[in-house]
Amino acid sequence: MLKAENVTKTYNAGKKLALEDFSIDVPEASIYGLLGPNGAGKTTFIRIINQITQADSGSVFINGKKLNPEHIKQIGYMPEERGLYKNMSVGDQILYFGELKGMSKNDALSQAKYWFEQLQIDQWWKKKLSELSKGMAQKIQFVVTVLHRPKLLILDEPFSGFDPVNANLIKDQILKLKNNGTTIILSTHRMESVEEMCDYVALINHAKKVLDGKVFDVREKFKKNIFGVTLAEVNEEMFESFKNRFQISDYSTLNHLVSFDLKNDNDQNLLLNELMKIGKIRSFDEKIPSMNEVFINAVATNN
Amino acid sequence: MKNIFLITKREYLTQVKKKSFVILTLLAPILMIGFGLLIAFMFKANESSSTFNVVDKSGLFVGNLQNSKAIKYVFVPAENERALTSTLKEMTGIEGLLIIPQLKDNNFDDLEKNSQLLINKKIGFDTQSSVASDLSKIIKKEKIKTLGISQDQLNNLDQNFKLNTQNVVDNNKGDSDLDFGVKSGLSIVLMYAVFMFIIIYGVRVMRSVLEEKNNRVVEIIISSVKPFELMMGKILGVTLVAVTQFSIWITMSVIGALFLNTGFSAMQQQIPGGEKSAEMMQKFDLQQTATEISHILLDLNFPLIIFVFIVFFLLGYIFYSSMYAAIGSAVDNETETQQFTLFAIIPLMVGMYGSFTIMNNPEGPLGFWLSIIPFTSPVAMIARIPFGVPAWQIALSMFLLLGSSLLMIYVAGKIYRVGILMYGNKATAKELWKWIRS
Repeated sequence: MLKAENVTKTYNAGKKLALEDFSIDVPEASIYGLLGPNGAGKTTFIRIINQITQADSGSVFINGKKLNPEHIKQIGYMPEERGLYKNMSVGDQILYFGELKGMSKNDALSQAKYWFEQLQIDQWWKKKLSELSKGMAQKIQFVVTVLHRPKLLILDEPFSGFDPVNANLIKDQILKLKNNGTTIILSTHRMESVEEMCDYVALINHAKKVLDGKVFDVREKFKKNIFGVTLAEVNEEMFESFKNRFQISDYSTLNHLVSFDLKNDNDQNLLLNELMKIGKIRSFDEKIPSMNEVFINAVATNN
Repeated sequence: MKNIFLITKREYLTQVKKKSFVILTLLAPILMIGFGLLIAFMFKANESSSTFNVVDKSGLFVGNLQNSKAIKYVFVPAENERALTSTLKEMTGIEGLLIIPQLKDNNFDDLEKNSQLLINKKIGFDTQSSVASDLSKIIKKEKIKTLGISQDQLNNLDQNFKLNTQNVVDNNKGDSDLDFGVKSGLSIVLMYAVFMFIIIYGVRVMRSVLEEKNNRVVEIIISSVKPFELMMGKILGVTLVAVTQFSIWITMSVIGALFLNTGFSAMQQQIPGGEKSAEMMQKFDLQQTATEISHILLDLNFPLIIFVFIVFFLLGYIFYSSMYAAIGSAVDNETETQQFTLFAIIPLMVGMYGSFTIMNNPEGPLGFWLSIIPFTSPVAMIARIPFGVPAWQIALSMFLLLGSSLLMIYVAGKIYRVGILMYGNKATAKELWKWIRS
């Protein structure tokens, strides 16, 4: 749905590189995670999509068309630095932002009503923003972002400022939007939210894309064929010979249970056969790296 | 275009709905009047009136000493002199006793030497010298009379030289003193109004920009509209606020004037006809002056003055408020704005103080240049306009101001576009220059 090709952006007359030769492909109706530490270039890329700034070179396409002002109405953007008018009533702001996105007043009203019910905040319409707590304001911010039924939703650190209950509420809404066909770009430095929600991911570090792909593939790619094993009723003799043939680490015993990690590049079923001879298998799972580990690894190999 | 309208609407409604706006709009005229009254009162407060008993043995002063607001003379028969002198210490309401001896052989020096003012409390230097001058005026007349000059001749002597000025270019009568005073007054009032309003509303634009920058709303808005639209919407919104405030104030003053007028004439009718005091005479004088002033005002080309005022105010406001918008976007908080706002205030100040010299010589070179150069023309042209300005100069100045306003909007737009997304540091002049060129 969104495609970026060789996007480069510099600040300070070319002295500071914000984004270098950056290309990604975001499929329709997916959640695409932009992952990277602060200052990596995520916000710059998002601003380019929003046409707040222009790329120095390269181009961005939405549904095959080069990015143009007409696209603005199809995009919903929630910046990391949230902002609403403090002295304006909640209702007035929502209508104002809706109208700025080209909605009619009635349309904005009915949409607002829908979202206020979804987020259980219908009693806030007339309140001024300054009377609301930070978490409440975040919900309003979310409504402002999704009000005009954007086809592309860009969320910069969407969960910051939410308590766990409300974070879940928002998460469910995001997933629901995805299921209804909205394409979502989610920028964050919190790796766990990517694992939970994203279908695709791109890692950015120092203005460059380090890697990208389906979350599953990326994690697969970085797995080191390490398996976690827990055995009971271990035959010590067999175990000793096993240890000589396999690379074992993180060995521990607890209540007659033996746990360890082992590396195995061959067939897993053969390995299981071996393990069955040593004792009763309580658990056996492949250790897939977390996004955090993937990221650290990717950055390390990249450097 | 629709976006600019939406932004203008929001800006206008939020500003107008603010309590501070309502209070300021309603209170400002009252405050102004109150302030004027306070100053008048302060002048008044220190003004005490003194009453003196006068024993005039010479008979020269009876009926000739005029009472004024500050000093009242009460003539008493000469027989009471002794009694009054002895009780003067205890008297209240009477501040003194003026004793004038008999005039002997037209010896005025003797009369002066033997005249005495007995007082029972301290009187100011002003009062003392007023009494002295009141007396000397009468003595002077008496002295002249002894020289054998008639009253008519005397009046003739007192006449001032009235210079008749005629401008041969526009065939108008030259300005009389009153003419000149009225025009200068009007010129100062209009000039101050423009100066104040440009700054007040310009700062409003700046605050509003800063507010959006500080609460980060700006990033959401400019993901929907162009920064230029946002800036223009803001400037237009505040313009409408200014227009609203003006209209309310004009309505209020018209109503106030009508009210005062009817009140004044009602008061006049209540004054009994018989009592033709000096006060009445003074009032009559005042009325006459007022009529003269209104005649002079009516003789002015008001449609032109109003037109020039509105055009130059609006253009000047747009010129400066785009400057203020750029300043607001380039800094992070209000304290940092100060050094930059100097750039916006100093030219206006130069225009204003320079314009005081215009009043002495409306067609001098300084007046000409100040009212042509766009930085100062919004105030200087308005200062000149009551005195009459050649049409080509107005047109040239307007054209230049319009052009530079557009240029300023363009430049400010460039700074604004970059500035609103820069957080955490104040832009340097060098950076600003880079933004403008980018």
